[in-house]
Amino acid sequence: MVALLGPSGSGKSTFLNVLGGLVPPTSGEVIIKDYRISDMTENELCLFRREHLGFIFQSYNLISTMNAIENVALALTFAGVKKEIRLKRAKEALEIVGLVDRMEHKPSELSGGQQQRVSIARALVNHPEIILADEPTGNLDSKTSSDIMEMITKLNREEKQTFVIVTHDPEAAKYCTKVIHMRDGLIERWEDQR
Amino acid sequence: MNKQELLRLSWENLWRMKFRTILTIIGVVIGTASIIVMVSIGNGAQKSITDELSGAGSVTTIQVYKDIGSTGMTMMAGGKKEDEKILNDDALKDLKRIDGVVAVTPVVNLSGATVDYDREQYGVSLMGVDYNVMEDMRYNTTSGKKPGANDHNSVILGKEVLSSYTLSSTGAQAQENTVAPEDLIGQNISLVISKTNANGDEETRTEKVKVTGVLESTGGSEDYSIIADYKLVTDLNQWQTGTKVNVKKQGYSEALVTVEDSSVVNTVTAQIEDFGFTVFSMQQILESMGSVFQMLQILLGGIGGVALLVACIGIVNTMTMSIYERTKEIGIMKVIGASISDIRNMFIAESTMIGLIGGIVGIIISFILSILINLIAGLFITTGNVTISYITPGLVVFALLFSAIVGLLSGVRPAIKAANLSSLDAIRSE
Ligand SMILES: Nc1ncnc2c1ncn2[C@@H]1O[C@H](COP(=O)(O)OP(=O)(O)OP(=O)(O)O)[C@@H](O)[C@H]1O
Ligand SMILES: [Mg+2]
Repeated sequence: MVALLGPSGSGKSTFLNVLGGLVPPTSGEVIIKDYRISDMTENELCLFRREHLGFIFQSYNLISTMNAIENVALALTFAGVKKEIRLKRAKEALEIVGLVDRMEHKPSELSGGQQQRVSIARALVNHPEIILADEPTGNLDSKTSSDIMEMITKLNREEKQTFVIVTHDPEAAKYCTKVIHMRDGLIERWEDQR
Repeated sequence: MNKQELLRLSWENLWRMKFRTILTIIGVVIGTASIIVMVSIGNGAQKSITDELSGAGSVTTIQVYKDIGSTGMTMMAGGKKEDEKILNDDALKDLKRIDGVVAVTPVVNLSGATVDYDREQYGVSLMGVDYNVMEDMRYNTTSGKKPGANDHNSVILGKEVLSSYTLSSTGAQAQENTVAPEDLIGQNISLVISKTNANGDEETRTEKVKVTGVLESTGGSEDYSIIADYKLVTDLNQWQTGTKVNVKKQGYSEALVTVEDSSVVNTVTAQIEDFGFTVFSMQQILESMGSVFQMLQILLGGIGGVALLVACIGIVNTMTMSIYERTKEIGIMKVIGASISDIRNMFIAESTMIGLIGGIVGIIISFILSILINLIAGLFITTGNVTISYITPGLVVFALLFSAIVGLLSGVRPAIKAANLSSLDAIRSE
């Protein structure tokens, strides 16, 4: 569980997006688990993301016309998973984030914290090894933020999933085992908090 | 993503903007319906006319004349007629030898005869054919039978012979036909021919003939004629005109060639033309009319096509709009694992659905319109069974495919655009 900390404009989001293959690096290469991401075509990246990566955004990015379980299951739809299995796994993911009772609700009917939990469930549903989160608590109050961070910590411990979390919030960074400080597009220093 | 899921997702997306989707579909409906109705009107006109003309027998019969064209030419060129082909018995034998020909008969016509029956007089024309080949000709009788080779005094009546204008003893007047030709079968009737002799006096000659049958309608001149033996009509002609035709030298004015099947009409026609005769067949008319109707259909279909083109622009517009609205969503989908082809296919499926739904509704509406057009036309045209608008199964299939393809093609460009959106830019957009 890694936190990326640094002032605005220091390149935290950029770093995360390059990691996720959403933007190509202008120079250098990105290697995740022996996969050379930076050389992949868009279609290869897409397959890679499906299997190995999950994304969580500050602004949740749920599809407003779909209810919670449909949003979560959509990630599996593109992977070609059968409907029954899809719904079963989406429900499991929502159980993990504690939202089974809000399964049928549309994003607009959910609070910010609940929406973020749906988006975490969506990132979890295809069991990725790495989850990239860009300011997951940025829009949430401190109480909800710590709830979310506790949940992430639990997942990290129990499901052995790697989280890379961009944050401004030192409180959130405290949950992480490693903190990377960035400045002006460069890694300033590492910190091991274990 | 599997196909079923793709279609389901596209279908759901389609109905998110119900009003806009419906408007777009209406555009396709109007386009498809106007193509179908326009073409169906061309079809209907063609169908009623060809049905009328291609009655039994007439499509397998070829009329042969002396070469009118070259006669005119040679006369203009100084009256030389050396190579003019004469339609005499030798020529008829040549025609008979052509593959596919089953019967050849000379034809002689006599108009201005009257039939006396039951004290009424009916104006008719006579058509003389060779009774020796009568059996092989495609003249079918609806009732009664054809005269045999030696029944020189037997005749068959055309379907409409007695329903045309009749002459009553009180003078010429149009009058409803009270005698069905079938009623005359087996009876003797009097054929009356008159001429003005050298002294300027009216002279009449009466021939008693026996009716053996009534001819099935051919749609041609036979319907209004009495078919009689060639010898009898030639004899009457000579009496009326006072001149004897030298067949060997001058030839017959007309001959009828019956072929075994309508499929050989064209090859036989070509061969007869090679002999140097002028040929006329119902098939030729049907074919030339066919091309006229094809032109008509292309023209009418083109008008409908313009409507569909407008609909096509509507689809492009709708798809482009919905991509703008859904940019963020496209980005999200790409980030959570949708491939380029998933996004592209999703939008193409949506626009194809618009085309297909429009096509189906358009077809249904066309059938309703077609029925209405025929009903309204039926109020004005009371004679016969007139179809103004006729929708063929082929037209339905064509319209369905065409509208689906229009939908598909309209969607291609917007879909590619959507698929190539950068996921990051898309996800940031609001
Ligand atoms: N290492 C780098 N190489 C090239 N460009 C960089 C680098 N680091 C940052 N940038 C540029 O700096 C700008 C800001 O970066 P970025 O959005 O990643 O900052 P951030 O740390 O996420 O800021 P914020 O906290 O406000 O979200 C971007 O336009 C990015 O292109
Ligand atoms: Mg940022």
